Amino acid sequence: MKNLLYKEFYLAINPLFYLLLLFGALLLIPKWLFFLAPMYFFFIFVPNIFLLGKSQKDIEFSVMLPVRKRDVVKARIVLVVLLELLQIFVAAVFGVIHMEIYSTKNFLMDPNFAFFGFVFMMYAIFNVVFFPMFYKTAYKIGVPTIIANAAAILFAAGVEFAVLAIPAFKVLDAMRNVPAQLWVLAGGIGLFALLNIAAYRISSRRFEHISL
Amino acid sequence: MTLLNVEKLNKSYPSFHLKDVSFSLDTGYIMGFIGSNGAGKTTTLKSIMNLVPKDSGNITVLGKDFTQNEIALKQEIGIMFGGVDYYTKTKIKKITEVVRRFYCNWDDALYHSYIKRFSLDESKKVEELSSGMRVKYSLTLALSHHARLLILDEPTSGLDPVARDNLLELFQEIIEDGEHSILFSTHITSDLEKCADYITYIENGHIVESREKDDLIDAYRVVKGTRDQLSMLAPNLIASKVHAFGFTGLIKVEDLAGNENLVAEPPSLEEIMIYYAKKGGGT
Repeated sequence: MKNLLYKEFYLAINPLFYLLLLFGALLLIPKWLFFLAPMYFFFIFVPNIFLLGKSQKDIEFSVMLPVRKRDVVKARIVLVVLLELLQIFVAAVFGVIHMEIYSTKNFLMDPNFAFFGFVFMMYAIFNVVFFPMFYKTAYKIGVPTIIANAAAILFAAGVEFAVLAIPAFKVLDAMRNVPAQLWVLAGGIGLFALLNIAAYRISSRRFEHISL
Repeated sequence: MTLLNVEKLNKSYPSFHLKDVSFSLDTGYIMGFIGSNGAGKTTTLKSIMNLVPKDSGNITVLGKDFTQNEIALKQEIGIMFGGVDYYTKTKIKKITEVVRRFYCNWDDALYHSYIKRFSLDESKKVEELSSGMRVKYSLTLALSHHARLLILDEPTSGLDPVARDNLLELFQEIIEDGEHSILFSTHITSDLEKCADYITYIENGHIVESREKDDLIDAYRVVKGTRDQLSMLAPNLIASKVHAFGFTGLIKVEDLAGNENLVAEPPSLEEIMIYYAKKGGGT
């Protein structure tokens, strides 16, 4: 597993891709739709990794190595999960700065604890839709990307709507009820872990059945 | 000792089936795996390596079930499916840097000796290598971790005659110690005449023959005769070609009894392939 991860970071990612993590800095824009910042990760980063892999025949190369087919899937999911955590970390840094320097109220949700809990959930939803769909063929990238993006965007839109319009959710905005927000964050992390395990299980089972 | 044993391997696709493919390879031998295009050579090799999920059948390597011991057994196998066609924009040094980590028995000195022997330049990108060089690099990777079994799909295609000959000599060298075996598929049957000990011949998804090369050639005859003789012999022939002077056909030696007046010669592997393919095609 360690070796496959080395391969992922050493061969499968163009170092310039890491600059995309700086989309987290978009959280510094005042009065903005903050969910957009972490969305660039699956708008640009994920499709590019998979397109690069397809053009470089990464899967054909990986399965020749002394590993099981499911290990190839695991390494790729772990790679994306690590990058998502890195993206959340980068965004969180700018989120903290945002909350410190702006005193004006945002119309939509603030980048607070609950926000990052929802970002975890959004990434979890993206992963659980994208990976199993992709590993059904291991080469079709377009449709899984579109559907997984749509699912994640719908979720984020739902959250924004709920916080804006449903009174019970209003405590999740600004820094109103920090304990409740921390619960959302914990829930987000829990869901992220659970759905990633599910994504791996389904994807690896599907990938095992593919003729390469 | 049996290094590779394939038993009743089956795989169904909508328009193609591998049917009860069975053969085995002992240590210290080279087995040529022949068959026409689309006969099932690559599918068989990929099923052995679990790249294509098999419907049924058992694969054992060094006496152990391959599916159960996949990681450990892959360490003992050098695989090569054509030349390197992955990470074509990457320098081969960088690819080696990744591959070497996966093998417990990786031998850097051996790797560099093959790099030197094949005149490979490590600072070149894969796309800058000719197809022959790509095959050589792929083979270098397969050989540098002391694999006991080499499974090579079409290793000689794309190579010039001199390089092919060198490669076949290398194959002989590898098996000389009696510890290694090579299974390689090809449709260039002259390669096998030079170096194979065993031949496994697949046609349309099933194994026609799998035995020692000399036995295989001894079991068949190419017969020539007049058209009148053809009508008598036709039921016994595997297939035949009719021409202006009569016919030429392939027959099993045991079916030749009573027709000693015909001209009968030992066939080449190519002739065996051509006539069986002709039979399969129904022409």
